[in-house]
Amino acid sequence: MSLEKITNPLHVRHWLGDMEADYIYTLGVAGEHFLEEIKENGRIMGAKCPRCNITYVPPKMYCEKCFAKLEKWVDIGKKGVVHTFTVATIDVDGKKLEKPVIYALIKFEGACGGLIHKIGETKPEKIKIGMKVEAVFKPSFERKASINDIAYFKPAE
Amino acid sequence: MSEVAIVGVGCVGFRPILPELSYKELMFEAAVKAYEDAGINPRKDVDVFITCAEDYLEGFSIFDEFVPDQLGAVLRHLFTVSGDGLLGLATAYMLIKTGQFDTVVLEAHSKASDILTFMDIVAFALDPILNRPLGGHPYYVAGMEMNRYLHDTCTTMEQCAQVAVKNKKNALENPYAAYGANITLDQVLCSDTWFYPLKKLEISTPADGCVVMVLASENVAEKLTDKSIWVKGVGWCTETPNLETRDWSKTVYTRLAAEMAYKKARIHSPWKELDFAEVNDLFAYKELQHMEALKLCEYGEAGKLTEEGLTARNGELPVNPSGGLLGMGYGLEASGMQKLLEVVLQLRGEAGRRQIPDAEVGLAHAWRGIPTATGITAVLSNVK
Ligand SMILES: [Zn+2]
Repeated sequence: MSLEKITNPLHVRHWLGDMEADYIYTLGVAGEHFLEEIKENGRIMGAKCPRCNITYVPPKMYCEKCFAKLEKWVDIGKKGVVHTFTVATIDVDGKKLEKPVIYALIKFEGACGGLIHKIGETKPEKIKIGMKVEAVFKPSFERKASINDIAYFKPAE
Repeated sequence: MSEVAIVGVGCVGFRPILPELSYKELMFEAAVKAYEDAGINPRKDVDVFITCAEDYLEGFSIFDEFVPDQLGAVLRHLFTVSGDGLLGLATAYMLIKTGQFDTVVLEAHSKASDILTFMDIVAFALDPILNRPLGGHPYYVAGMEMNRYLHDTCTTMEQCAQVAVKNKKNALENPYAAYGANITLDQVLCSDTWFYPLKKLEISTPADGCVVMVLASENVAEKLTDKSIWVKGVGWCTETPNLETRDWSKTVYTRLAAEMAYKKARIHSPWKELDFAEVNDLFAYKELQHMEALKLCEYGEAGKLTEEGLTARNGELPVNPSGGLLGMGYGLEASGMQKLLEVVLQLRGEAGRRQIPDAEVGLAHAWRGIPTATGITAVLSNVK
């Protein structure tokens, strides 16, 4: 151990550094199909494992249960159910958000998985676990093959 | 096969910030304490050194290369585990069990105060195509998990808040704790709701610190000390990284990690056989979820037990007598080592005013935080 310790805070110094790290993330076969369908046709697709009879949303190229390769695409519709949700009141820097953001996991009938997304056109106190919601797509000219081509989910029925 | 013992521990911190020490000096000071405690010379007596660190949390590429000097490990046999300190413990345990290595040094640290954009790093761990484009503070994932857990188990917000009250109070007696406090249930419940239903005071705050331990085979341990703490079993497990398909209510990763450790340690009824447990409490509700997955009680029962005081320091099964991460501070990849340190001190009878009388068997548990589904469990005893 050092015998001499820094006791004057003015003598504590640091060097400021950062690292820039930019990437592209390859969508892959399943990811590309999923986002292209959202962009071009406004459809949410799953991938079905014929062996396990499970439809994965978002779709994958392989079955996480039996390890089979998946090649069958299924349109799972736009409507789902809120499996869980939260209302975020601060942003990534810890600053209070002007308008709270509602995040939810939306599950679809007959599908394994779901989508994490935002909920709109309603108030935080109206959201409940188990409520039905429906995807609202951005207008087609604004879509970029991104998960954000779905603007948000809104209460359905 | 040789039993595996912990024969030396050293800790510096944990403090909200440790501005006067660089991460290297932090490791050095903790290592000096651990070697002194074990009575070893790191330049001669250590077969393998293991550090546990994640590049992004350190601000280095290939951080492994930056660790030998301050541990006395230059030109010695060293590697880094990119994960929690308890994964390092599992690795050290296996090395000694092979019979090829007798003395292993294990290190993990947090210089969280050096990270200016910690939450951006956490957000960077989310799926880049499906989740990251949504933006926002990544702890929304915890809010969603807590909400579903409360929904499925009828656990109440008050019961979760009680975890924060208990742990911060326990931390007042722990010199290694950064955030000890006497707070009321109302104070927790009235703190800002950051991610409904998760409150500000139910979220652990990062802290700076370092823990170094010396592990040894039976033969070496018995020559070095008469206060060996024996590793009876270790287990680990990872669920899917996909937020979309994982279980949002039960922490399956912890259940399977616990079963692996209990099998090895021959633990059949954890509530009865353990004298205390150090359980990951990065968020208050996580302590309850993890208690259930660790089979300390039935699914959905942990909140009630906490409310009734059974997990308090003088309760039937104290949970997080150290103050947990809510009280000690979140030591990033050292968070499992914070738990392990408390288990060792309690089993040695060196836990000072927070000592649990006659403690013989303790559990340390870690979770790698948002958005992971990785859990590690270790069972330790002062009886070989
Ligand atoms: Zn399958």
